[in-house]
Order: sequence, then structure tokens, then C-alpha cells
Amino acid sequence: MNLGLLVYSLDIVVFIGIFAIVALSLNLEYGFTGLGNFGKVAFFLAGAYTYAIVMERTGIPFYLALIIAMLVSAGIGFLVSLPALRLREDYLAIVTLAIGEVLRLVVKTEDSLAHGVWGINVPPAIHWSGMSVLEMRMVNIGLVYFCLILCFILVQLMTRSPYGRVLRAIREDEVAAEALGKNRVKYKAQIFMLGSALAGLGGGLYAQYMQYINPYMFMPMVTFTVWIMVIVGGPANNRGVLIGAVLVTLFERGARIIKDYLLLPIDPINLQYILFGVLVIFLLAYRPQGLLKERQLETKAIEGVQQWKNRSSE
Amino acid sequence: MEESLLRVKEVGKHFGGLWAVNRASLDVARGSITALVGPNGSGKTTLFNVVFGLHKPDEGCVYFNGERIDHLAPHQVYAKGMVHAFQIPRLFYRLTVLDNMLLAARGHKGDGLLNSVVFRQGWQAQERELADKALELLNLLELDHLTLSPAGELSGGQRKLLEIGRALMADPLLLLLDEPAAGVNPLLGRKIFERIELFRQRGLSFFIIEHRLEILFDFADWVYVMDKGKIAIEGKPEKVAKDSTFYKVYLGD
Repeated sequence: MNLGLLVYSLDIVVFIGIFAIVALSLNLEYGFTGLGNFGKVAFFLAGAYTYAIVMERTGIPFYLALIIAMLVSAGIGFLVSLPALRLREDYLAIVTLAIGEVLRLVVKTEDSLAHGVWGINVPPAIHWSGMSVLEMRMVNIGLVYFCLILCFILVQLMTRSPYGRVLRAIREDEVAAEALGKNRVKYKAQIFMLGSALAGLGGGLYAQYMQYINPYMFMPMVTFTVWIMVIVGGPANNRGVLIGAVLVTLFERGARIIKDYLLLPIDPINLQYILFGVLVIFLLAYRPQGLLKERQLETKAIEGVQQWKNRSSE
Repeated sequence: MEESLLRVKEVGKHFGGLWAVNRASLDVARGSITALVGPNGSGKTTLFNVVFGLHKPDEGCVYFNGERIDHLAPHQVYAKGMVHAFQIPRLFYRLTVLDNMLLAARGHKGDGLLNSVVFRQGWQAQERELADKALELLNLLELDHLTLSPAGELSGGQRKLLEIGRALMADPLLLLLDEPAAGVNPLLGRKIFERIELFRQRGLSFFIIEHRLEILFDFADWVYVMDKGKIAIEGKPEKVAKDSTFYKVYLGD
């Protein structure tokens, strides 16, 4: 395999990791809790820009900058959640969609913040002199997948517990959950903040990997790509969402490679958006549960009940 | 006089210009089955919603177990020991029957975010105990063969039973039941009330809205009749059944 192809493949691997983190965060919000957050890109942007601005103006180590990026995203998530969580599902989608655009326009027009449309240079997280491109990719894969594994363990623990059961109950019928003593506003705010923090982490990793960001990298399409990952993989199934992230990223990148070999009367990138739309319509019609179905909650107590059931049915 | 478990004092609630509940006062004694009846639109469900905190009353107050509760949100009222079962069962249809039951438990340590991630040992034993308790209740309600099925697969009557079972899971002091026997066959309706009687004997109190008077009057200790937002008559079921205003309320003049 030639070096160029290897480096390009590793680039895809890094992207899969970054977007898998964002997709897991959306799965927490939408898949488990039923919060239709159509402003995912806002928190991705908040993380990326916070990381970039902090690294430009201070000399703190990269992991502190990543943590600050998560905190700022969570803070914005909290502010958005104050009015948004009192809204009905469809209005929540509209409000979050608007916030994504508003935040992008703020960083675009406020030059003093991050050089507006000129974009901002971001130093890579881990760097040494004489680092080859291949080494850079490998280091990024290590960093991104370390974060991804931590995020995956976190969301798995959260959702495979009585806490996750409450989240699903809120998704099914939040008034009934409230009538059963669950403080729905508290739960939804927690999930919104945590989901935003994880998206912010993804944004920070993205910024340091790209080494340059500008407002045009945070168009609403980012949100929809992440949504497609969740819908394809299977809402409320963390493993499925990882698969969704892999498939959608490969599909997106594949379209860009094919562009050079296919002679089409239209731009394949635009064709890709159309294909994405068709794919989602087909999935929602024929397999709305996604590739991997939501699994029943399993805690140790429930496993005990299952064993007891199996014994008594023999 | 012994202090009553639930006291509704001069409560009023209006929607626009209509007083759905108009200065209604009533008491639910400890350990009783107290019934609330009346024609459609007389304000029974609105009164229930005020009692468990879904609506704030525009006037008057509600006391539960000696505390004023009319400013509390539903989940806070729940924490005090009052549970409400909806008229149309509001189950979590994609979750299993067991999950539905476990969700209703009060004070489950695993419900917290931090506990779900860090202190996982803290709630495992509790979860097991609750699962045992849920199985016992499901057994009593004859739903135990459906423990691990999604609640959406249950029939109408079974859904009613699960809605009540879920309410019992919380170990409440008082259960508010909105038409527990509506929409089920007469036999099952009577069976539901027999179960209610069983739990009353164990010390629970019930406050029930019901239109199936032929069943209700066999089990209720005290009946309030509501009309146009007001309490029109109250008394023992035998007495209310003989009252001429009672028929006037239901059938008109």
C-alpha cells in the first residue's frame, strides 16, 4: 500500500472517532431521552472554538484546553436548556436549529473573537519537531480513540442502569414519568449539558486535528450528518451508533474519492446529500429501529429475573 | 377527631371564565376508600390534578399528611407518598412490564446520574429487592407471566392492572385512582376493586373517581358527589344512593 493512501485511510479513521463521540452524545439526547437536538453543531462549534481561542491566548496544556472546551459547551448547553426544555418536542428542534446558526454567525462576525471569516489556526495537541504526517495521524488516532473509549464507557454505564431507565421513561411519556416522581426538567437538563459537553470534546479534538477552523466548517449539515449516524446505527443503542458513525463517514468519504473517477453531469458531493436523504427515508420506512435494535435494559437484578423466568418455563 | 390523610379546603380552579372546581372541600380518612362521583364535566379530574400538583389551585389549599402541598410539583407530591394512576393508562409502552414497575419505586438510589456511573455497587442490592417486590405485586395482579414483555403488548384490562400495580410499587400512603374499572369487563372491574380492598386492608388509603357505581358502592366507605365544580352531597354509599338530589345531579330535573 502506498503511503498516500495509508495516510488518507488513517484520516478517515480519525474522523470516524471524532464523529462517533458526537453521535454518542446525540444518542444520549435523542435516542435515550427523546430530546430532538437539531443544533448539535452549535456545541461542536463551541468546543472547537473554545479550544482554539484558549490555545491561541494562553499556553496551557492541551488536555486542560479540552476540559475547558467541554465546560464551555456544557455551559452553553445549560443556558439553552433553560428555555428549550420547557418546550414541546418540535419547538425544541426549531430552537436548537436556530441556536446552531446564531452561534456560527457570532464567531463569523465578531472578528475580535477568532478572526471571523479568516478562521483561526489551532496548534495540534501533541507535537514534536520533525514529526511525519504518518506519526501525526497515529498520535491523533491514539488521542481520539482514548477519548472515544472513555465516552463509550460513560454512556454505557449511564444507560445500563436505573438512571437509563428513567431516561427512557421520559422519552416514552414525560408526564407519566413526572407523575412517578421523576423530576423531568432536572433529568433533561443533565442530559442536555452532558451531551453538549461530549459534543464539545468532539469539537476540541476536531479543531486540534484540522489545525485550522473557520465558520464555514460548522454548517447545519454537520448536525444532520450526526443525526444520520444515529438513525442508521439505531437510536438508543450505543454500539449501533458507533457502526452508524463508521458507515456514514465511509459513505461521505467514498463519495469524495469516487468524484475523481466518475464522470457525472452533477457534483457528486451534492449527489451525496441527495443519497443521504434517500437513505434516511428508506431506513425510516423499512427499518425505523436502525441497524441494531434498542435492547431491553439489563441490570443484575433483571438478569436474575430472566434466569428465574427461564427456569420456571423449562 | 382524627386528622384526615388528605384535606382539600375551599379549593377553586378556573380555566378562563369557567370555574372547573368551585370552593370544593373534602377529606380522605386514613385507611379508607373514599369515592368521588359526578356527571362528566363536573370537575372531578381537575380536582385530582390539583391534588397531585399538576394544576396549581387558584384559591384554597390542600393538606396531605399534615403538610400543605398545593405549591408542590407532581414529583414532590410523589415523594411525600401520594401516587396517581391515570384514567387512560400512561405506561411506558416500549419498556418491559418489570421496568414499568421498577420506575415507580420511590427513592431508588440508582436513579441518580452520579450513582449510575460511579457508585454502582450502592444500588445493585436495592434493585434486586425492588425486582422481588415487583414480582410479588405482579403475581397478585396476575401479570407475572408478562414480566419481561413490553408493556405495549398488554391488553386493555392488563394495562389497567399494571397502572395500578405501578402505583402500588411506590409504597404510597394514598393512591388516587381515576376510573380504575372503566373500559374493562364487569368481572375484571369487580376483581380490580377486590384487589383495592385487599391493599386497603394492608393499610393503604384510596381516593377513587369511578362511574361504575354498582361496583363502587359495594366497596367505598364514603362518597362525595360533585356537580358543577361543587361538592353537592356526601355520605355513606347507602345514604347517597337514597338521596333524591343524587339522581337530580346525574339525570337532571
